Amino acid sequence: MSPSSQSVSTPSEAGSQESVNGGTVGRTLQWDTDPSVLQLLGDSDVGRKIHKLGASKITQVDILPKELVTYCKETQTPLAPHQSEEEEEDEEIPVPKAETETDLQDNEDNQEYTEAHPRELTEEEKQQITHSEDFLVFFDRTIRVMERALAEDSDIFFDYSGRDMEDRDGDTQAGCNLSFNRFFYDEHWSKHRVVTCLDWSPQFSELMVASYNANEDTPHEPDGVVLVWNMKFKKTTPEYIFHCQSSVMSVGFAQFHPNLVVGGTYSGQIVLWDNRSHRRTPVQRTPLSSAAHTHPVYCVNVVGTQNANNLISVSTDGKMCSWSLDMLSQPMESMELVYNKSKPVAVTGMAFPAGDVNNFVVGSEEGTVYAASRHGSKAGIGEMFEGHQGPVTGISCHNAVGPIDFSHLFTTSSFDWTVKLWTTKHNKPLYSFEDNADYVYDVMWSPVHPALFASVDGMGRLDLWNLHNDTEVPTASVTVEGSCALNRVRWATGGREVAVGDSEGRVWIYDVGEQLAAPHPEDWSRFARTLVEIRANQGDSEEEGAMEMAA
Amino acid sequence: MAKVEETLKRIQSQKGVQGIIIANAEGIPIKTTLDNASTVQYAGLIHQLLMKARSTVRDIDPQNDLTFLRIRSKKNEIMIAPDKDYFLIVIQNPSE
Repeated sequence: MSPSSQSVSTPSEAGSQESVNGGTVGRTLQWDTDPSVLQLLGDSDVGRKIHKLGASKITQVDILPKELVTYCKETQTPLAPHQSEEEEEDEEIPVPKAETETDLQDNEDNQEYTEAHPRELTEEEKQQITHSEDFLVFFDRTIRVMERALAEDSDIFFDYSGRDMEDRDGDTQAGCNLSFNRFFYDEHWSKHRVVTCLDWSPQFSELMVASYNANEDTPHEPDGVVLVWNMKFKKTTPEYIFHCQSSVMSVGFAQFHPNLVVGGTYSGQIVLWDNRSHRRTPVQRTPLSSAAHTHPVYCVNVVGTQNANNLISVSTDGKMCSWSLDMLSQPMESMELVYNKSKPVAVTGMAFPAGDVNNFVVGSEEGTVYAASRHGSKAGIGEMFEGHQGPVTGISCHNAVGPIDFSHLFTTSSFDWTVKLWTTKHNKPLYSFEDNADYVYDVMWSPVHPALFASVDGMGRLDLWNLHNDTEVPTASVTVEGSCALNRVRWATGGREVAVGDSEGRVWIYDVGEQLAAPHPEDWSRFARTLVEIRANQGDSEEEGAMEMAA
Repeated sequence: MAKVEETLKRIQSQKGVQGIIIANAEGIPIKTTLDNASTVQYAGLIHQLLMKARSTVRDIDPQNDLTFLRIRSKKNEIMIAPDKDYFLIVIQNPSE
């Protein structure tokens, strides 16, 4: 231990001061990087690990980006033009067909598939559909509308400057008293049948019903046919077709039931059709028993008011029954029309005066006319009116309502070629119109003009008599083409049209000129004066007749 | 059933009528008087038009609905009567 100059010899860069002091062996804190670093690092584990470097197994893990499933769905308020296609798809989807693959994104696929449907479901499905109730209802309704649309031939592109106006009737015949409007005829249903009765609808003035009797040429078709025609549209087919097993002799719209058509048949049954059901056969009918009618029913009439109405029917064995339209299984009351307690009256026509539900007049096969009443002490036949020499074919009570009441007047037509004017107060005719040369089949007063009535005869003539003008000859007369007999005449409710039915199944509609048909207020008083004149003449002619007989 | 056939025949024989097609709500023809190709074409195209027309009417007024559609062209007129489950198409030449 000698301090020696040994310390001088130790080189150190950093300069360690302690090394100057002593040469203590082992504890050299020298800032010599290498050894101290080594020393320090030697204490940790990492250092040891780094020594070991080897290859390790690599497992590759690929995590794909998260896939977001998106689709476009548009909602209801369409602004884009493709909306209709999408809606179509939505409608087709609920169709539960096992084969269909509903691929939402593929339009063409779907359309192709729907076009493929008729090939697959052709005959069977179609047959099934056409037999279904639903389809028939749709068809009935739509065909009606379509026919009207087809018949309207109004050419909206018509150019008046280019060609001449097509001649439409109306202009040339404006001044005429009686001009032809149209006729109704159905090839299938009205051929070879006689028009037995006509009636206009009280609710819809353009609707008219006509009844036809049996067609001998076609025994397999139903005997009785009733067609409802429409004046408003140009289509030439009937609105409704009804039929029944026995010839229909009289028909009428039920006045207070807009959908019902009442018919009286040759067998004595009263039948009821309803235009709400699509059946063509009657929905209700009366029984064929002795409680009801067993003879042809030539007159049916609904009388009364909205709340208290009855269907009155009279048959040719003199039986008059009163029915309620709700129940046709038995009459509410029935009465035998007998005159003087002898044999019953064979009724061919019946008429109620305007506004009267109790008293009425009937015409018979023997040529006598009777006044009768339904209720009261004198129920049954009252007075007898004699004058006709042949069966009475038509009878009509004065209809026009005005300041003076003429409801005691009635006219009758008969096979004896005359039309007679009567009043219920006198049992001889007031006047006899003898212009016809054949059986006169029907007569009817105008519903609006007090002095106007129409008559039709077997030579195809339609006469309009205006008693103010002339009582010897009709004021207007026209012969329908085709040389057939006219069986029935009916004024329309407005008094401007006349419908006539002929023996060939055609119904002719004639327009009556305004100056003839439209009444004036003073017409009533004028008619009263005319009546007085007629009565005076009648008195004279009776005297003359007596004188002639004496001479 | 025969009534349907008879009625179609009668309408077909009216002047100017070229064809009648009845199709169901999806545009599949049920009854027709035209040939198959034309029928399918008409039924498909008109069905689309009908949907569009109906939606137009309904959009303007939701309480309203289409009742009849008439297309007038130079050569003919197509009349379409739609319904809930079916529709009827009649093609007519109105100038005759």
